Amino acid sequence: MTSTVHLRNPTPREVAHVLCAPARAAEPLSGRLRLLLGERLASAAGRVEGRARIDAYAVERDRPGFSTPFSWNARAARRVVGTAAARALATRTSPDALSAAASEIERLCDRAERGLARPGSLGTWLAGEPEHVRALCAVEAATWMAGLLHLVAPIGGVAIGVADAWHQVPGAQLTLHGRRDAAARSAGSTARLGLLRVRDGLPGPCAVDGLLVDGLIDALSGPERPLPSRVVGGWPDAGICLVVEFDEDAARQAARALLECAERMGETSEVARTLVGVA
Amino acid sequence: MPATAPSPLARADLLAALRGTPALRPAVDRNVAGGLRAWLEDGIFEQLGVPGRGAVRLSTRSVTGSPPVASMTSLLRGALVAQLVRLQVAGQRIDDPFDDASCALAASGRNNDLVTMLVDLDTEDHARLAAEVKAHYAVLDVHLASIPSRWSPRCGVRQAIPLAGGGVELRGHVDVALGEPGSSRACVCLLQVTTSVLEARHEAVLSYLALLETLRAGEPPLRVAALSTSDGAFVVRDATPELLAGAVAGVLSALGAFSAR
Repeated sequence: MTSTVHLRNPTPREVAHVLCAPARAAEPLSGRLRLLLGERLASAAGRVEGRARIDAYAVERDRPGFSTPFSWNARAARRVVGTAAARALATRTSPDALSAAASEIERLCDRAERGLARPGSLGTWLAGEPEHVRALCAVEAATWMAGLLHLVAPIGGVAIGVADAWHQVPGAQLTLHGRRDAAARSAGSTARLGLLRVRDGLPGPCAVDGLLVDGLIDALSGPERPLPSRVVGGWPDAGICLVVEFDEDAARQAARALLECAERMGETSEVARTLVGVA
Repeated sequence: MPATAPSPLARADLLAALRGTPALRPAVDRNVAGGLRAWLEDGIFEQLGVPGRGAVRLSTRSVTGSPPVASMTSLLRGALVAQLVRLQVAGQRIDDPFDDASCALAASGRNNDLVTMLVDLDTEDHARLAAEVKAHYAVLDVHLASIPSRWSPRCGVRQAIPLAGGGVELRGHVDVALGEPGSSRACVCLLQVTTSVLEARHEAVLSYLALLETLRAGEPPLRVAALSTSDGAFVVRDATPELLAGAVAGVLSALGAFSAR
């Protein structure tokens, strides 16, 4: 049974302390669970046509995050720019959120103009857009960043704007994507960390499964990486945080949710192929 | 209603009235949110019992009795003005309001149906809409001429408050929020920008948004304001306990109408 705590209107310092609180016990991700999960995900993903990606959104909503081909826009850019700008604000290299976002956009454009950004990257897109679009992206990013910084304070033990976790399932065209927006700083490679993930709207009925999946993908993203101590889901629109303590039971629940999602994707893909065949 | 007509001093008036003098701001009362929530929860139980998850979803429109949106053209005009508000907050120089707003709307990643409609406009509608947007922008340029970035401006802030264990959801959308919560004195200000003329219902909209902000952040905002870009009139209200109590009554009344259906 997963232990979940519901926080309403927590202060940023309270959330920071929850993230940094020590884990109950050392808990590595079991090698057997890692192996079995990889095999079964590869088997389920074999039925999916083309490359597939599973994230917490797909697990919670029973469908992939994007139903159309991805293209950059201000909404898609806000988190990427916002997290980088939040880092700058946390290190006091920018005086305020909007200036930090504008500086980050300028940096990305500069890299693209010097030929350092790959085609299709955010920097390349921003560099090709007029200044009005860049200004819009700065406001969107500053608004998103405010949601993050109103949830968690960038005090000593908390790293704001950490990179997402990715795991390529061996032998399958399946990638797992775990979101994380802040994390307790590592005290060593085997230290268990608290993670924070920010979402729009309200927590749905499967919100806990989504948080667990983000936690498991975080552990899968490195060969010897331990399970996180806890995963905190923040919903700034609602002023709510859900704190899920992560242990081996939680890892098993997350693995089940991932497998069910992969199997559903396989079934949907097979039905689609059958319908095309009938037509 | 006590809306102020634009005057030669109007440039500073709206933001000055909204932000006030920092030293005179009231201390934050963090107990208000819990009391309002309990009041709402009791009212919901009296009227609906224990509603199932997501059974009732109330928006600003349904709580404040705003009329349904007249046409897609009005929606499009509103969306374009909303983009201009964002650009104005970003301190972006605007040469051609319609073109700049259209460009921003197309890149926003939202309102794809409105973007399609914008592309399909015929020459006459295009010219009419461009003239309207230009006129609305002239008002914005007077009232939101420069918002310092140290005020931590945010645009398009969404509010989604679950009550009664998720049985009732209150949703709102704030055009511009200024100031950061968490300090000892109230400093968060909310601004709604409307392309219509200010009416009595806008008072209800302001109090509803102040209530949602109180429940969301755990502390009441300092002030709420509405600005009409059609004539430059604006109204500013302190987020007093009376204003918040009025909003609770409005929500319970909307729930009463919902349960009577």
